[in-house]
Amino acid sequence: MRYDSITEAIGNTPLVRIDPAVHGLSHIDLYAKLELLNPFGSVKDRAAWNMARPRLAAAPERGGQVVELSSGNTAKALAVLAGMHGRTFKSVTNRMRIPEIKDLLLLLGAEIEELPGQSECLDPTATDDPLTQFHRTLSEPGSTYLHTDQYFNPRNTEAHFTGTGPEIVKDLDGRSPDWFIACVGTAGSSTGVARALREHDPAVRVVGLVAAKSDFIPGIRTIDEAHEVGLFDPGTYDTIESVSADEAIEGMLTLNRRCGILAGPTGGAAFFGALRQLRAADEELTERQSAVFIVCDRVESYLSYVRQRRPDLFGRPRRGNSPADLSDAEIRTAPALGVADAQAWITTGEPLVVDLRSPYAYAALHIDGSVNIVDELFEELLHGGLPFSRTRPVLLACPVGEKSARYAALLTRMGHPGVRSLTGGIIAWRDAGAPLVRD
Amino acid sequence: MGGQPLYLEPRLESRLRSLADSPELLHRLTDALGSPLNMVVPDQLADNLQQFRSVYGSHHLSGQVFFAHKANRSSALLRRLAATDAGVDVASLGELQHALGAGFTPDRITATGPKNPEFLWLAARTSVTVSLDTRGELDQLATLVRKHALPRTRVLLRLSGFEASGVRVLSRRSRFGTAVGESTALLETVERHGDVVDLVGVAYHMDTTSLTEKATALEGCLRVLEECRSRGLRPRAVDIGGGFGVNYLADGGQWERYTTELTEAVLGIRPPLTYGGHGYGLRNESGTLRGALGLYPAHRPIAGARYLDELLAHPAASLGGRPLAALLLDHLYDLHIEPGRALLDQCGLTLTKVLEVRDQETDGPLAVRLAAKADDVALEDHGVLMDPVVVPRDGADADRAEPVAVHLFGSRCLESDLITRRTVFLPRRPVPGDLLAFANTAGYCMDFHATRAQHQPAARKAAVWQEGDRWRWCLDDQYWPTTPVGGAQ
Ligand SMILES: Cc1ncc(COP(=O)(O)O)c(C=O)c1O
Repeated sequence: MRYDSITEAIGNTPLVRIDPAVHGLSHIDLYAKLELLNPFGSVKDRAAWNMARPRLAAAPERGGQVVELSSGNTAKALAVLAGMHGRTFKSVTNRMRIPEIKDLLLLLGAEIEELPGQSECLDPTATDDPLTQFHRTLSEPGSTYLHTDQYFNPRNTEAHFTGTGPEIVKDLDGRSPDWFIACVGTAGSSTGVARALREHDPAVRVVGLVAAKSDFIPGIRTIDEAHEVGLFDPGTYDTIESVSADEAIEGMLTLNRRCGILAGPTGGAAFFGALRQLRAADEELTERQSAVFIVCDRVESYLSYVRQRRPDLFGRPRRGNSPADLSDAEIRTAPALGVADAQAWITTGEPLVVDLRSPYAYAALHIDGSVNIVDELFEELLHGGLPFSRTRPVLLACPVGEKSARYAALLTRMGHPGVRSLTGGIIAWRDAGAPLVRD
Repeated sequence: MGGQPLYLEPRLESRLRSLADSPELLHRLTDALGSPLNMVVPDQLADNLQQFRSVYGSHHLSGQVFFAHKANRSSALLRRLAATDAGVDVASLGELQHALGAGFTPDRITATGPKNPEFLWLAARTSVTVSLDTRGELDQLATLVRKHALPRTRVLLRLSGFEASGVRVLSRRSRFGTAVGESTALLETVERHGDVVDLVGVAYHMDTTSLTEKATALEGCLRVLEECRSRGLRPRAVDIGGGFGVNYLADGGQWERYTTELTEAVLGIRPPLTYGGHGYGLRNESGTLRGALGLYPAHRPIAGARYLDELLAHPAASLGGRPLAALLLDHLYDLHIEPGRALLDQCGLTLTKVLEVRDQETDGPLAVRLAAKADDVALEDHGVLMDPVVVPRDGADADRAEPVAVHLFGSRCLESDLITRRTVFLPRRPVPGDLLAFANTAGYCMDFHATRAQHQPAARKAAVWQEGDRWRWCLDDQYWPTTPVGGAQ
């Protein structure tokens, strides 16, 4: 496969059969359309290219920034495409809640404008919501913005009507699947594919999946939010079901771990929603059927999203020398010194003074001669053993003397004979009028 | 009526629930003091303060909780608070006088908001800390202190226009505070007036429900405080304002169902849910939903003290990812907050008497006219959707109760005097003489709006408290922290 441009690598994604041992359906062949294998990483590459192509090609000398309301994948694709054509890209959104995607967009040179949160002291008569202002700016006479308008642009749907849908039919040997399951974001992929499949076989059953209302699944909408999308027509779907964030992550893990498909949460949602729908149908069936769901994008961008909801998935085995292993009694009886005694000890015993606060705080004000090892780092060090000699006395200091007491207890348990915690911490030190410096 | 009733039951904690379950008391009071009647619950305010205090405790933070006085002008609430260790944030001369008169000593008062010379003078005269919005205000204060030989004044600098690195947040413009970008000039002015003012720290108040915007602002403040220290100033505190929110509804599921059905009503998929098809900001443009829902997020599990807790646990992206609380502590800064609405959660009830119940169309909502004006309850002005509690006049037979849909009208002679534009569902048909009790509104909403238009009186206020299992009351102005045990003294 040799291409002249990366854009030629958009589309023609594989259709991969899910192992029946994983899905457990006896009469239905389930296939995943792997949109995650598009060059910029998602199903949105198709729509972005189809919407932007004619206008990027036209009048290149006029400049103009590409703008879109996108919290992720469309923005990613448009940022790359704009850059390839010497333009800049700006995303305006209030939904960008995934830090990795934000960082990636910045890396790609995108400008991001986030819409502010809702006013706490609401004025229900206010008409100037930021989104309305944004649209007003775009439509000002003489504006050179190239607004791809993914929620209303028919070229979004068209990309899937002419691309994704026919590819599925081709890979199923010229037949439509009996079932098609897709998540609803802009509604472009589900609508376009559904239309193409129905041209072949009007009997195909189309399942639209939305996020449960109280939940957030990046890239898809709740049923209320779907109504705000110009491309969304409830008539497209035979049924609209909702999926929770937990279910999406469950589905994602199965695809990741058991199918080798590194799908993100919406792929997981589609898989989960597909199985829930098909299990019921499967029991009634006597002849074979087929079903296709779309895997929109990849897992890598969603690690912090998953960590927030399923910290258990990231639990590392417990390690030795951890402050978490200490008993309350050990912490209570940890060796400690008050401010006056500590000051005296510093002049007579010359202990190493370790300040456990953040480097910014340390840089601003600290005890003269102390060293700064931020607590997280200190904990890491201790997993490997004592980080200083037993012969050197140590005074540990943190803001209020709580963390330092833990570490003093731990170091004592690890066999250090001369460690003390500063009682009341740097705050007590300051309040006692003892000197703090910035050097 | 069509379909299931769409209730939006208010969240009632034990005190308000017990009050709502005391029909005899509520009827006796409205018979004596008239409808509408605002009841405030001072002891609840002290409990809410404790919740904020315990968040401070769990993060080892010190600093003051300043009640934002602008949220309610009740004397009872203010005097009850004066008996705790809380402070008060005052935004006018009148509020300052009220706070001093209620027993707040100047070290527990901060003066914020737009200031006229009298307000500034009394604040400086009494050694109240002044939160300044601009360089001009700082100059004005310094001139006043010199001219009238007032004591050195403690000041906070209120900042705005914080920017997250890498991402531009389109902020709602604020009329208050100096843009952080201009903080250098502000600090130079502080240094110039070093003979008459002491810098306590910096402040912000952001009108947003978004945690990340507030976290960005707090990070911005830490950076400005560092600049203060590098100039040799000795700031000690960050004041992060209020806006911690209130959870008004008992049941998140009801809220989700309601908002979905409201959307569908706007799109014409189901029968209207509002008087005259009002869409609360949403509209139908050829089948697509446009506009923005102008409603307060009435079900908010993370509100009040929990919101503060989440904010403090939020990692400071631009400062090494440590939680904000840890950074404040590391830097030895006190945290000041100014909750208004959140401190008043569950602190009051507005009682209104049913005057008339009229059938309109067959099966359509009933028209219920109340002895109150829309601005006495003011739910609509705050975009809060919440059902009233029916307090029957005669012990009603709950078993025979059938749900009804109603429209709640006020008693003013105006088509627009609707207590709420939405169709309200009640578990039983009210009859004239019943009371409808609006939870929470006496705490926060009404003082901004209530008027004496059309010679109709504004609601009176009564303070209530529990002694054993009995409710006691007095007029708001008669309440002092000694009152609750007054009978026994
Ligand atoms: C400076 C300041 N602090 C505090 C508040 C109170 O905020 P809330 O009532 O939402 O807690 C306000 C409200 O407008 C304010 O302007």
